[in-house]
Amino acid sequence: MRRLLQTALLLAGKDFRVFFRDRTGMLLGLALPIGLVTVFGFITQFAFRGGDMPRAELWVVDEDRSEASRLLVAELERSATLRLRPEGDEEAHDAYELMDDGEAHHVLVIAAGFGDRIGHGDVPELTLLRDPGRTMEDRLVRIGLSQAVTTVTRGRLIPVLLGQRLRDVGLPEDVVAEVVQAQEAGRAALENYLAQAAGEGGSGGDTAALDVQSVFSNLVPMTVVDRQPPERPRMLTYTLAQSVSGITVMMLMFGLVACGGTLILEREQGTLPRLLSAAMPRDAILVGKFLFAAAVGLFQLALLFCWGELLFDVGMFQRPATLLVVSVSVTAAVTGFGVLIAAWAKTTKQAEGVSTLLILVMSALGGAWFPVQLFDLPVYAEIITRSTLTWWAMSAYQQMLWDQASWTAPSVLQALAVLWAFALATSFLAWHLFRRRYTGG
Amino acid sequence: MMRTNELLAQDEPLLEVRDLSYSYDTVEAVRGVTFAVERGELLGFLGPNGAGKTTTLGCIAGLLSDWKGSLHFDGRDFDPGSRTADRATLGLAPQELALYDDLTGLENLCFFGRLSGLAGSELDTAVEAALELSGLAARAGDRVGTYSGGMKRRLNLAIGDLHQPQLLLLDEPTAGVDPQSRSHIFECLRALRRSGRTLIYTTHYMEEAERLCDRVAIINEGAIVALGSCRELARSIGQVEADLEQVFLQLTGRRLRD
Repeated sequence: MRRLLQTALLLAGKDFRVFFRDRTGMLLGLALPIGLVTVFGFITQFAFRGGDMPRAELWVVDEDRSEASRLLVAELERSATLRLRPEGDEEAHDAYELMDDGEAHHVLVIAAGFGDRIGHGDVPELTLLRDPGRTMEDRLVRIGLSQAVTTVTRGRLIPVLLGQRLRDVGLPEDVVAEVVQAQEAGRAALENYLAQAAGEGGSGGDTAALDVQSVFSNLVPMTVVDRQPPERPRMLTYTLAQSVSGITVMMLMFGLVACGGTLILEREQGTLPRLLSAAMPRDAILVGKFLFAAAVGLFQLALLFCWGELLFDVGMFQRPATLLVVSVSVTAAVTGFGVLIAAWAKTTKQAEGVSTLLILVMSALGGAWFPVQLFDLPVYAEIITRSTLTWWAMSAYQQMLWDQASWTAPSVLQALAVLWAFALATSFLAWHLFRRRYTGG
Repeated sequence: MMRTNELLAQDEPLLEVRDLSYSYDTVEAVRGVTFAVERGELLGFLGPNGAGKTTTLGCIAGLLSDWKGSLHFDGRDFDPGSRTADRATLGLAPQELALYDDLTGLENLCFFGRLSGLAGSELDTAVEAALELSGLAARAGDRVGTYSGGMKRRLNLAIGDLHQPQLLLLDEPTAGVDPQSRSHIFECLRALRRSGRTLIYTTHYMEEAERLCDRVAIINEGAIVALGSCRELARSIGQVEADLEQVFLQLTGRRLRD
């Protein structure tokens, strides 16, 4: 037993010595969990703001421009569940155009006459254009809208709207009057109780979490218009589109980094000197690795998409030209990234450490794991997420899958341009490192 | 009838190395090495571990850059690190086996042959000759990973000569092989010499150098300390009957180097 323990300690000691020998590899191994914890903490902090709900983006087109409509917009801006657009110098274009371009998923149109109707105690006209597939955002938008409208109308509309709803479903007038009266009495009782509970230090349940307005949510007078691309498959949900894009991009990155790693393998197995001494342009070695990784990437994508289509019917091949252009662009960018890591790393351990760290961090930041576009990120965080190639790869696939956008759509073209910029920049850096490290160029 | 300049070129050494120096960061691995290799000659590089043999070959093969000095091949300035055409005149059998274990012997030969610009019947002939040279025709279809150390060494050498380079650089081609494979490699080298190939050969083994080389350069701590035939080297230490090992120890000392 003692001998076994001694030997085990000896072996463990040796492994520690080897582990600490490659300092860069070791540091990367240690940095991986720290990096992930940081990114997760960062995302959680901004996504849920210490326990609150995430925010949904709501575009507002104010056609009324009255004091009441401005008051409503100001109230919506204060909402904890909404991120209002347009912001700053932005301008809200035509609401339907915003939806059809895939720029907006919820647009509130405050029709002309909104202020007058509120003034007269009438039901005002609000129209919500929404993408019905974005169910999570839809709930957040409804909550924010209910709260804002109730505040603006000081609750005066609630009995009116309740009465109208009950009449719409065919209840007799006397029953409607009775229910409305009971609702008003109930509301008053609830408000009294909450005020009393607040004064006594909040005994009798978690009254702080109870908001009277939220009790009467979904009573907003709103015409809901569903807008979605007609080509979008019925089976496809936003979560599924998100998962397909996210898993595709992340697995592609892992696969192609491994392919780029064959450059390190050439060195470790001793074949690189022979390749370098061969009568051929030396840059061909790097180009060859790029082509190999890109071909494997495209094959992997094709396989993944076929399987996804077979299993989930997500409409992957509805726009074959767009699928091809997007996939080639994403593959080029990811391949450039893989080859850059291979040219930079001195050992397999270093390559594995840095690639795992970068891939997981970029996947989290770029939206491959969570829909970061739903989160209310500060400007610097927006810049960070948009600096990752995963964000643009996700964006291109999401627009193709969800918004059914063609590769010629301006937003897709923008994503493609950024992806090719990534591909060129990483390839150039890889080429530069390769020449410096292996050919003395 | 040969022209005058062609005759002059024939008289010139195939490779001329002048004042070659190379440093790894602060360690000077090669210091002012100067030598010439005649056409059809087998020049041996003999030296203790870390003497600078592999580094010298690395500079000549263009694997290392930023060396100082000059290289001339066939009377011309020679820079295989930058010029593809210069690399075409060289063959290399590196010390570390440069083979793909997952490919068969034949696939390795075809791949490296194509890389050297061979194709079609020219490639077929070269591959056939390489299999004969290495004695691996019967195992050509097997994965290299299943080969013995000796078989891999033979294949490593055969690949270096696949495109029939004017100068073949061999870095310890018999390291770690059994007597049978070593004997086969000797035969290969003799055959290559007979075909007019010029060879530079590094080794630790004195008897190999004695048996095979026309001349031997003894390199120690990055510099050539003696160069000549075995007989000339023995004379240079004043012991005409001395063998190469005695000459070597006399010139390089008995101190351990690594």
